[in-house]
Amino acid sequence: MTRYFYDKRVREIFWQAALLLGLVATVVVIVRNASQNMVNAGMASGFDFLWRTSGIDVPFVLTSYTPDSNILALLWVGVVNTLVISFVSVVAATLLGFVIGVARLSANRLLSGLAGAFIEFVRNIPLLFFVLFWYFGVIAALPGPRQSIGIFSIAYLNNRGLTIPVPTEGSAFRIAAAVVLVGLIAQAAIAFWAKRRRDATGQIFPVWASGLALLAALPALAFGIAATVSPWDVPALRGFNFRGGFVLVPEFVALFAALTTYTAGFIAEIVRGGIQSVVKGQWEAAYALGLRPNRALNLVVIPQALRVMIPPLTSQYLNVLKNSSFGAAIAFPELVSVFVGSALTNTGQAIEIIAITLAIYLAIGLAVSGFMNWYNAKTALVTR
Amino acid sequence: MSDVAAPSMPPLLRRLRQGYFATPVDAVVSILCIAAIVAIVVPIVRWAVIDANFAGTTRADCTGEGACWVFIKARFGQFMYGFYPVDQRWRVNAAGLLLVATVCFSFWKAMPRRAIAVPALWALMLLVGAWLLAGGFGLPRVETRQWGGLMLTVFLSVYAGVLAVPLGILLALGRQSELPVIRLVATIFIEFWRGVPIITVIFLASLLLPLVMPAGWDIDRLVRALVGLAFVIAAYMAEAVRGGLQAIPKGQWEAAAAGGLGYWQTTGLIVLPQALRISMPAMTNEFIALVKNTSLVSIVSIFDLLGIAQASLADPAWVGLNKEAYAFAGTVYWIICFGLSRWSRHLEASRKTTH
Repeated sequence: MTRYFYDKRVREIFWQAALLLGLVATVVVIVRNASQNMVNAGMASGFDFLWRTSGIDVPFVLTSYTPDSNILALLWVGVVNTLVISFVSVVAATLLGFVIGVARLSANRLLSGLAGAFIEFVRNIPLLFFVLFWYFGVIAALPGPRQSIGIFSIAYLNNRGLTIPVPTEGSAFRIAAAVVLVGLIAQAAIAFWAKRRRDATGQIFPVWASGLALLAALPALAFGIAATVSPWDVPALRGFNFRGGFVLVPEFVALFAALTTYTAGFIAEIVRGGIQSVVKGQWEAAYALGLRPNRALNLVVIPQALRVMIPPLTSQYLNVLKNSSFGAAIAFPELVSVFVGSALTNTGQAIEIIAITLAIYLAIGLAVSGFMNWYNAKTALVTR
Repeated sequence: MSDVAAPSMPPLLRRLRQGYFATPVDAVVSILCIAAIVAIVVPIVRWAVIDANFAGTTRADCTGEGACWVFIKARFGQFMYGFYPVDQRWRVNAAGLLLVATVCFSFWKAMPRRAIAVPALWALMLLVGAWLLAGGFGLPRVETRQWGGLMLTVFLSVYAGVLAVPLGILLALGRQSELPVIRLVATIFIEFWRGVPIITVIFLASLLLPLVMPAGWDIDRLVRALVGLAFVIAAYMAEAVRGGLQAIPKGQWEAAAAGGLGYWQTTGLIVLPQALRISMPAMTNEFIALVKNTSLVSIVSIFDLLGIAQASLADPAWVGLNKEAYAFAGTVYWIICFGLSRWSRHLEASRKTTH
């Protein structure tokens, strides 16, 4: 008997079995309690409620949803709004974060000090503070529609949100998007070919020049032409409010501003850390091999800095996705707000609704981190 | 370009010229920065100090163009203690002193049996603190719905943080375990809580916890939020501890095994003391994130510092003082979090050990 008691493998199996048994017992107790409590409270269960008419009016809809649609369509509105606000915030925060991160490393101490002050300011205050501040402190304090702040006389900012012009007919933009896609594929092919040729012959092809032409000039041209040939619905003041255009509701503007500035502070620190992680010897070695400064930067320093930056950037991007749920605090209709907020109040099916919400966040998160892991593996150090 | 300044210039001027105006680009950048600083600092100082009202007791005393700190003065008790009964507020102060004393004791390096005494001290602090705040056993009871303000922010941060540390260590050990079932369970637990927004966790805790309890059991809603926060933070703490565990070379385990130590002895005596020292800065950063995230409990109508500042704006006797309330709450959060992050950096710098 003691032979088994002291056997390492027997003990390992025992402890794992005990853990499993404990978990199963916990789940059984939870399910029994929940079903008992639901029967007592007369609560419904199951997923039939998804096909019921929602009857909920949502102020910011990018899908074909109306209050007559079912709750599944309402869920889709929340998912789309969450993805849209996360995407635009990630793009803006990355740009702002890179600028501030590079400024933090400037030799000019005024500039690096300013960047440092911004970083320390946003990183040490709750995001909810910024969301509430932008919403109740800034947007609500803007003038009314009649005294709107005009932006080049095409967009107007006031306390009812940001009114932007929209094209009334989208076919030119679809063609432009297709052109951009072709440019992207062409650039990828050129980069692939140039790397093969460089590895084989040592000849360097100016990939950045074709990239500038195909990824910046071509899209700018395509969308520029599309914008000039398409008819536009430009907002104009009629009476007490704007007619035409598309209104980005104040909640959207406030959440976007808060997410962008807050996340930019964290991205700036990642950028600074990434650049600083490349030791000085790498620059010197690149020069010793005869590389000119910009080539040393492109071929030696940036690839190594990116490698350090990608994992923390991934977690920041995932944080933006999760933090978009702060919109619930100001009733921006993102996933938590429309589903865990409105739909739950209407149907009372807490377990199903929370389970679906958690599953959606986990699924999007897994997809993003899967993509970033793939990209990270591609850029990772090849050790021999 | 280091000798652009004439040698006859005073040293200070020469330093300025070399540091900020060495090249035309540098000069333009410097001038733009100075302009930006002036544009930011001057209006803030004018609003917060020069044009501000400090004296008085009512809204009518807010006469200046700038901030009206009279509002903060009138509401100070609420911002600090929430709706805690005024004659019982000494208990909150006592609990705060207890916390400070416990933190100080934790840094007493010569404490006998420190590895056991420090956790025991914190456990005792949590118990006595809960008794002081909630009452019972001789003290009048104070319902948790009367708690609020900074006191609630500190309560949630400390209790969720301290509960999360042991749970996080266990999870990190589980994730590093050689036993597949334990590793799988720990990994799923960690990734689940890290993958979902904290708001949904707070909803989950406040809506579903009562549902899964046996009929008739009622959990206080503050405790529900606390449990939700503690689980999430434990998952993040686990990842911070894992970083420290991974930094311990395998030779340490092998040497301990060669010395005849079992798993728990090796973990407790050899690996964890080293790993936790390495993880300390990362764990402090998670704690800072926790302090900031406690503000989310206002979603379920628990009024922490930010929640009570937001709620105070609805008072018809004090309309239009949004900026003052936000400035006050933001400054308090900033001081706490900035102080903690400086401390974390200090730890990182002073405890650099190598293997």
